[in-house]
Amino acid sequence: MVNPATILVTGAMVGSLYVLIAIGFSLIYGVRGVINLAHGAFIMLGAFAYLVAGGQVSGVAAFVIAILFVGLFAVGLYLGLVRYIEHNVVITFLATVVVALIIQQLLTLEYSLAPRSLEPIVSGGIAFAGTRVRYYQLIAFALSWVALGLLFLFVRRTTLGRNILATSMTEKGAKLAGTNVLYVNVATWFVAGAFAGFAGVFIGTLQSTSPTMWINPLGLAFIIVTIGGVGSIKGSIIAAYLIGFLETMTVTFVGPAWRGMFALLLLVVIILAKPEGLFGREFIE
Amino acid sequence: MSHDDVAQNSRRSAGANRRTFLKTAGTLASTAALGLSGCIGGGSGGGGSGPVKIGHLAPVQLDMGKGSMNSANMLVDHLNEDGGILDRDVELVEGDTQLSPSQANQRVQEMVNQENVAMISGTFASETMLGIEDRVADLNVPFLDTGSASPQITEGHVGQNYEKYKNVFRNNPVNADFQADLLGEYAKFLSDQHGWNSFAVVVEDAEWTNPVTNRTPGVIEDAGLEVAMTRRISPDTTDFTPILDSVEESGASCMLKAISHITGTAMLSTWGAGEYPFAQEGINVASMSPQYWSDTNGGCLYETTAESGGGGTAEITDKTVPFTEDYAGRFTERPTLPMYMGYGTYDAGYVFKEAAEAAGTVDFENNLDDIVAELENTDYTGTAGQIQFYGQDHQYPHDVKYGNDFAPFPIVQWQGDAENDMIEGEGAKVCVWPEEFAAGDHQIPQWMA
Amino acid sequence: MSKSVTSVTEESAYGYGIPLFDTRVNLYQGGVLAVLLVSLVTVPVWAPPWAYLFALANIWAIFAASWDIISGHTNYISFGHSFISGAAAYTTALLTFNVNPDMAIYITFPLSVIVAVVAALVFALPSLRLSGPYFSLLTFVSVLVATKAVFIFSTYTNGEMGISTVSVLTFDTTMLFYYTLVPAVIITGALLYISRSNVGKVLKAIGQNEAAVEAAGLDTTRFKLWGFVYSAIPMGIGGALLAHFYGNVEPIAFLIVDRSIEIIAIAAVGGMGTILGPAGAAYLFLFLRDEVFKAFLGPNARWVAIWSVVLVLLVLSPQGVLKRLWTFLGNLGGDSS
Repeated sequence: MVNPATILVTGAMVGSLYVLIAIGFSLIYGVRGVINLAHGAFIMLGAFAYLVAGGQVSGVAAFVIAILFVGLFAVGLYLGLVRYIEHNVVITFLATVVVALIIQQLLTLEYSLAPRSLEPIVSGGIAFAGTRVRYYQLIAFALSWVALGLLFLFVRRTTLGRNILATSMTEKGAKLAGTNVLYVNVATWFVAGAFAGFAGVFIGTLQSTSPTMWINPLGLAFIIVTIGGVGSIKGSIIAAYLIGFLETMTVTFVGPAWRGMFALLLLVVIILAKPEGLFGREFIE
Repeated sequence: MSHDDVAQNSRRSAGANRRTFLKTAGTLASTAALGLSGCIGGGSGGGGSGPVKIGHLAPVQLDMGKGSMNSANMLVDHLNEDGGILDRDVELVEGDTQLSPSQANQRVQEMVNQENVAMISGTFASETMLGIEDRVADLNVPFLDTGSASPQITEGHVGQNYEKYKNVFRNNPVNADFQADLLGEYAKFLSDQHGWNSFAVVVEDAEWTNPVTNRTPGVIEDAGLEVAMTRRISPDTTDFTPILDSVEESGASCMLKAISHITGTAMLSTWGAGEYPFAQEGINVASMSPQYWSDTNGGCLYETTAESGGGGTAEITDKTVPFTEDYAGRFTERPTLPMYMGYGTYDAGYVFKEAAEAAGTVDFENNLDDIVAELENTDYTGTAGQIQFYGQDHQYPHDVKYGNDFAPFPIVQWQGDAENDMIEGEGAKVCVWPEEFAAGDHQIPQWMA
Repeated sequence: MSKSVTSVTEESAYGYGIPLFDTRVNLYQGGVLAVLLVSLVTVPVWAPPWAYLFALANIWAIFAASWDIISGHTNYISFGHSFISGAAAYTTALLTFNVNPDMAIYITFPLSVIVAVVAALVFALPSLRLSGPYFSLLTFVSVLVATKAVFIFSTYTNGEMGISTVSVLTFDTTMLFYYTLVPAVIITGALLYISRSNVGKVLKAIGQNEAAVEAAGLDTTRFKLWGFVYSAIPMGIGGALLAHFYGNVEPIAFLIVDRSIEIIAIAAVGGMGTILGPAGAAYLFLFLRDEVFKAFLGPNARWVAIWSVVLVLLVLSPQGVLKRLWTFLGNLGGDSS
């Protein structure tokens, strides 16, 4: 006996988290063609930043600190490393994943592998549509849409945002139009990092925070961006919810162990049948 | 002892590692220079003079393994204060298994080949122990299992081929067959206490939980109680909502679980936040960590877990509490208590010391039979119980004897109003079962009352 | 082989094969190579305690060289090579665990290698259509799917902690070293030969400019397919060997993506496209990780150290450290190729 409302509610909750996971990865990939395998580590850093800051300040302040910290960390990684190697896809791939591994090991040294839950800003929950929804999930859902709205305004209404968009179309063209490409890159990495930090706080709270938590979100980001189409924020949003519902149905109808499996298989199908994704441009280069 | 001493300890241990490496490298260089061949490093099997080295295997990236390794370091200090083993100093060789049987194999080989240890203790996961058991048997090094519970380790190996596996013993915890039956007994206790008649048996998918799936429901049903569901869940589960939902749907008043690789952190915070109408009972290895309260933000309130040594809250023997307090005084970083494996690891060292001194040797290459015979004669009051081993003809040869007068199976509960202040934070663990060791009453979640 | 292909090869960013079988190996290069080879072969004599570690390194040398013949040459970077070796190891393990624990190694071993080749072809086929990043992505996904499958079918695979019914090759570390050294030497030699052959040159040309190779009238698809087969056979051998090395097969030591990344890191440090470089780097990598860094930093911090070293080397010397050294030795002799 399956209640369709349960699937709808749970899927929407999962999807709203997945959007947060994927959006930063999508930005960097879309604007620069850089596949940032440290993205999962960004999300992890968000959770740990919240954990550390949460001991000192209030939940809301810790949330803001986590977002800013990861944003700045992303900028640091770009300026300190990626900038010098981004022309070489292979080395960028490798270097970013090695960065993720280093972060994992450092966090393991400091915090051990034991997973922990973060203190939610709001606790409690309600029984609803045949399942239990934590208030915190509702907040994640709402904030995820607020953040997306802000991103949309930023890209459409500000000069910097428009420049990012222009650069994602063609770097040469943007340069000709007088765009400062370095500035655009820094902004892109900051926004991507901030979104990752945002996602990290919620994943770390709703699931758990541990030094190996980076690999799953990274895989998800990969899947969502590829299915949605590289360079399309709209595509990423739709794909995130698609995967959210798909996973919820998988868990309901097949079993929790299969979570993630069908998303991976869907990805393979998309890559083979429509490599540019549902809403993407053809991958150039 | 202060924290500085601990830091010094770990420096000393790192220094020992370094020295070993440099010594090996140095010997190799001089050997190569002299053109000698094949006459070093063959392994003196713990023989010779110099310090007696003992190896310990544990996944130190987990609280469980770290607590055990800390206990091993403390053990070595205590052994040396007590005159060492056979009047020789004792040195610890640390082996991180990284929760991988393959890594553990490599560490065992190195311990015997490169470090010439006289004894190895350890392993947390049963799969790790089973994965190295053949190698351990081949190397003949006395091995004391201090953390893995699968009955296969004794019944399936020592019991099948005594001559080959006679160097393998388990002094902690009681084997998983007993644990499974005892969980059933514990369900009866809960039923008597609170009138709970329906149980959901949910375990992680791992070797050591097979007896729980196979035996526990039978014990519960034999007592006239209902088993509303049994489920094995994958160790890589991240979202526990569907599992909690199905336990609720089954109508069980109690989720009787056995998890260790699953840390349950996410499960408990979801359970506590959602106020699911059933209790969380059974075995949760992560919950043995004193830091579990803060890890789950207090979500573990009312959860119980079985724990050798009773988390230091019960006087299992007169050594239990002093050992726990000594540990807590030395180690200020997590885990701040030894956890179940720490008790076993600490006891293993003294069990070995007594056997080696009775046999008059630690040279297992030449005198394994003497050492094994003395280990079989063990009757030692440890921190986790009175330790004796079952004999060669028992169903579980070389396994620690279960019983309230031997090694017991205490169950502790996280309670909010406990007076035990050894643990930071608001919640603390209280031994609730068996009655012989109980320090308080079993409580039900306040939203179920 | 047409002239145009050769000229493309000469310009490759990742260099060309070490001219081992050419007369162009100079005295310094030959001397260093000979000393290293003799030292390796005699490890159990001069360093018995290290025989076990070097036996493990033999297997990793196989992995790195096998990865190199396809990814190092064609620049199609596979993140899924642990999937290929894992497929072989799991075939051995699943057969002994689920079918017959005493199944003879001469049955399980060839079967495992065959399964590895089939597994490789499964993800080779899409590569015929996809460009670089998508290929890497797909191979990355293959590892995730395989790891997931191990957990889902835990009744047969024992999930996280794996299967320990595989027989251990031998507990005698000296014998173990030679059992692994012989395949490592044969495989490295064979791959070096392929790398130096016309097939290898075409593979490298593909890595440099696939369109140009096609324009020269060559069927790149066919060459890539062969490249995969050449890579998968030794990966399968290595995977099955590793299973018998540990006597235990579990995701963390055989399958997870970290293992694939290790292979790539080793190859990159050694010098992609040179076969000998990646094989040699395997010994360096394992020795640093399991002996030097472990002794000085302890079992956990060593990972931070080894990955930091890899990161620095990747950025400073993307063409590979061992390859640089080799070129340096070549220049000493004054007749570098």
